[in-house]
Amino acid sequence: MPKNKSDLLQGTLDLLILKTLELQPMHGWGISQRIQQISEDVLQVNQGSLYPALHRLEEQGWISADWKTSENNRQARYYALTGRGRRQLAAEKENWIRLSAAVARIVGA
Amino acid sequence: MGRKILAIFRFLARRAKEERELDRELQYHVDRQTEINRGRGMDPDEARRQAVLSVGGIEPLKEECRDARAGRPVEALLQDVRYGARVLFKNPGFSAAAIVTLALGIGANTAIFSVVYGVLLRPLPYRDGGRLVVLHQQLLQAHIDDMPFSVKELNDYCDRNHTLSGMVEHHTMSFLLIGNDTAERVETAVVSPNFFDVLGVKPLLGRTFVAADDRKDAPAVLILSHKYWQSHQSGDPNIVGKIFKMNNRPHTVLGVLPPIPQYPSEADVYMPTSQCPTRSSAQFIGSRGARMMTVFGRVKNGVSLAKAQADFSVAASQVGNAYPNDYPPKYGYTLKVAPLETELTQRGRAAFLVLLAGAGFVLLIACANVANLLLARVLKLEREFAVRAALGASRGRLIRQLLTESVMLSLAGGSLGLLLAPAALAVLVKFAERFTTRAAEVHIDLPVLLFTMLVSLATGVLFGLAPAASTCQWVSDAFKQAGGRITSSRSRHRLRGILVIAQVAVSFVLLIGAGLMIRSFGKLQQVNPGFRPDHLVTLRYSPGFPPYSMATLPALMDNVLRKIDALGGVESAAIASSFPLNPAGLVSGPQPNEFEIEGHPVPKDEPKPQTALRIVSPAYFDTIRQPLVKGRAFTDHDDEKAVPVAIINQAMARHRWSGADPIGQRIRVGRNEQWFLIVGIVADVKDYGLDRAAADQVYESTKQAGFSNRLVVRTSLDPIAEAPLLRAAFHQIDPHIAVDQVETMERLEYDSMTSPRVMTLLMAIFAGLALLISSSGIAAVMALSVTQRAHELGIRMALGAARGAIIGMVVRQGLVHAFVGTVIGIGGAALLARTLSTMLYDTRPTDLLTFLAVSLLFLTVAAVACFVPARQVTGIDPLDALRQE
Repeated sequence: MPKNKSDLLQGTLDLLILKTLELQPMHGWGISQRIQQISEDVLQVNQGSLYPALHRLEEQGWISADWKTSENNRQARYYALTGRGRRQLAAEKENWIRLSAAVARIVGA
Repeated sequence: MGRKILAIFRFLARRAKEERELDRELQYHVDRQTEINRGRGMDPDEARRQAVLSVGGIEPLKEECRDARAGRPVEALLQDVRYGARVLFKNPGFSAAAIVTLALGIGANTAIFSVVYGVLLRPLPYRDGGRLVVLHQQLLQAHIDDMPFSVKELNDYCDRNHTLSGMVEHHTMSFLLIGNDTAERVETAVVSPNFFDVLGVKPLLGRTFVAADDRKDAPAVLILSHKYWQSHQSGDPNIVGKIFKMNNRPHTVLGVLPPIPQYPSEADVYMPTSQCPTRSSAQFIGSRGARMMTVFGRVKNGVSLAKAQADFSVAASQVGNAYPNDYPPKYGYTLKVAPLETELTQRGRAAFLVLLAGAGFVLLIACANVANLLLARVLKLEREFAVRAALGASRGRLIRQLLTESVMLSLAGGSLGLLLAPAALAVLVKFAERFTTRAAEVHIDLPVLLFTMLVSLATGVLFGLAPAASTCQWVSDAFKQAGGRITSSRSRHRLRGILVIAQVAVSFVLLIGAGLMIRSFGKLQQVNPGFRPDHLVTLRYSPGFPPYSMATLPALMDNVLRKIDALGGVESAAIASSFPLNPAGLVSGPQPNEFEIEGHPVPKDEPKPQTALRIVSPAYFDTIRQPLVKGRAFTDHDDEKAVPVAIINQAMARHRWSGADPIGQRIRVGRNEQWFLIVGIVADVKDYGLDRAAADQVYESTKQAGFSNRLVVRTSLDPIAEAPLLRAAFHQIDPHIAVDQVETMERLEYDSMTSPRVMTLLMAIFAGLALLISSSGIAAVMALSVTQRAHELGIRMALGAARGAIIGMVVRQGLVHAFVGTVIGIGGAALLARTLSTMLYDTRPTDLLTFLAVSLLFLTVAAVACFVPARQVTGIDPLDALRQE
């Protein structure tokens, strides 16, 4: 069962991780770099909270981990989205859009 | 849920691998960040340091990642258990004391609970046994609450029954099982053919009765009880079809019953009603007053017990109105519907519950003691815990660790207790057998094991909570006090004091209970039974009918007495219908017989007075040494041709003649139309138990009133040695006379006091344990407080206080606890002792002597427990105390 409600900060980080993994499997370092790049450095992911989040998401069964050779030719732990993770991503995405639209309406009013 | 449990197991199984992977994963991250930092021109060391800082330190991050995993709490528990085991092994004295204390408490509770569960709580081993009921006819105004049924009455109620789905009858007979050269008396239950169907009992072997077995011309059949099959047929698996010779007819064994509790008494075999000569006689069937049956029923589904009771109350008033001669209105005739479950067990209920409460108290005291020991130990750990708290261990984690430790202790205690329980159980089952046939169902089985486990866990949490709660407080204190000595807080002192006071109070209640029981038992042992029990042997002899008949029995009785009198070692012998302390009489009490005094007719519709009746041969009073108070005893001349005579006891003379002289008056007892002339008065005898007042008793002679089948013999030899000679004598008279229940009177007297003896013994054991545990608790707390106050006491001494004065001060403080506990205990005991009152003989529940003696004993023990540790004071060197300043 996908969780619809989570507190904003933790939920946001989860959403960002899931969204980042939607395209392709990635290791922790890559995820942090990607989020920073795409948000044009607006979002600085706290490295300290990224890894516990990855482990928690894996424990939930939304992502799975596997050891693969990375771009610099070393073994790295790659995370990939699972089927359940995809459903969770869809639910959280919708939730986020509704939330941000509502916040935008209030702030813009 | 399942996924989560799987995840936990996966985590535990792969813990080492996960750790390595976590290491590598974070290492990879740090390496990449280091590369980038170096690219920005940092030197290698600084680049790595900054990389580590960016994640907030490797170790804390790892800890956070581990916390995200499902198996984390289990892993923490394993750590706590490992740590706890190390601590417990490091303090073997403390651990052993705690475990043994708990084992005694939990073992006692397990043993007693298994009896309470087996007897009172376990569902009856009949199908839907909660719906089974027993019907009692009652004559409330005549104080008869369990009058058996006659056939006519049974039929009346069957016709008027709307609430029971089946009504079946049961009565017991004894028949002779004839072998080649032997005869054995077999207790036989005679029952309706659908008896076992209504009770919902399936046979272990063969089949139960069907309607065809009850036809007049049907072949005679038997069903064996499980116990009889085991004890007398050695559990023969091919027993079905075997032929027994009983009542001069061959009986075929149809089946064997499973082990079930039997009510109202245990039977060896069962037979259908048509085979009982008495039950099937036209005279018995035709008489409304010929009563001997118990009636069972099963309440229909959807009908409440109250509804069934209401329905049968109406039926009873209809029956009563229809036959006013048989049920005079002033007798208060009615019918009671009683659940079989309570009927089977009500006699023992109070005793079992008192014992369970006693065992529970012992466990509570043990808990308080272990809590105090733990508190003392926690005190030594304060610094360690404070350091751990400062290093970031959460308060919850520390408390959890203390609880883990106490639960480990209690589980160890519980396991040891479980090993001790079976030994105690053997005694308890023997005890329970005196109250209920359900005693055979007592085992240490799954529900009992669950109970023990729950009790162990609960005690562990209970006595772990006190130290844990106090930990809570000083962990926060530890932060406030930067270093230095952590002084123990006032509240923890108070907690220990309260624990000691509670222990003392509960122990005191137990001691009072035991004290009252001991006093009551002591009085019981001094009761004068009214006869001389030494050198007496009793037995039951059962001739068969035929070959014997009413006409030949007087000659048989003469023959028996002549042969026995001639035996070596026999001083005198008598035949009687019963004798004092007969086990059957102890259970049933005196059997009521209506009687009438000539010249004092009772109005026809009023309840007649009642008395017990015993038929004895002339030598009876002399044989048991029951003194004749007035008049004369029976003689051989009081035979069938002479005037019928009777002897009464003093109780009857007192109650019915109140001062006037009964000798020379005539009475008639029971259904006898003949008047009997009173010729003598004998002293009262405690016939129905040493704890019961003598009942009104009429004696008639065997030569005039008929056959009796008990023999009482006074020997000059050891009565046990006489027993085989008596058996041999009967075998010589006729090998087909069954002889059983051969017992010495001293044995019967001892057995008659088994329940009070076991109750007293158990209560004394509980109280002894309580005293031991709580006094060691007092001593431990005293010792601890002396150790803690060594510094203060040393300074007092340095300032000139005498050692004696200091010892006095310390002891006084300890005694205050004991005294407050005793005062609370007196209040509690005064309240609780009332529940004991039914079990006490000639002892008031507020017996002053008991209360004084117990208080004195308790305070003495408490004073010793205070004084011994207080003597440590003499080891304190005032100079040490000063140097520390």
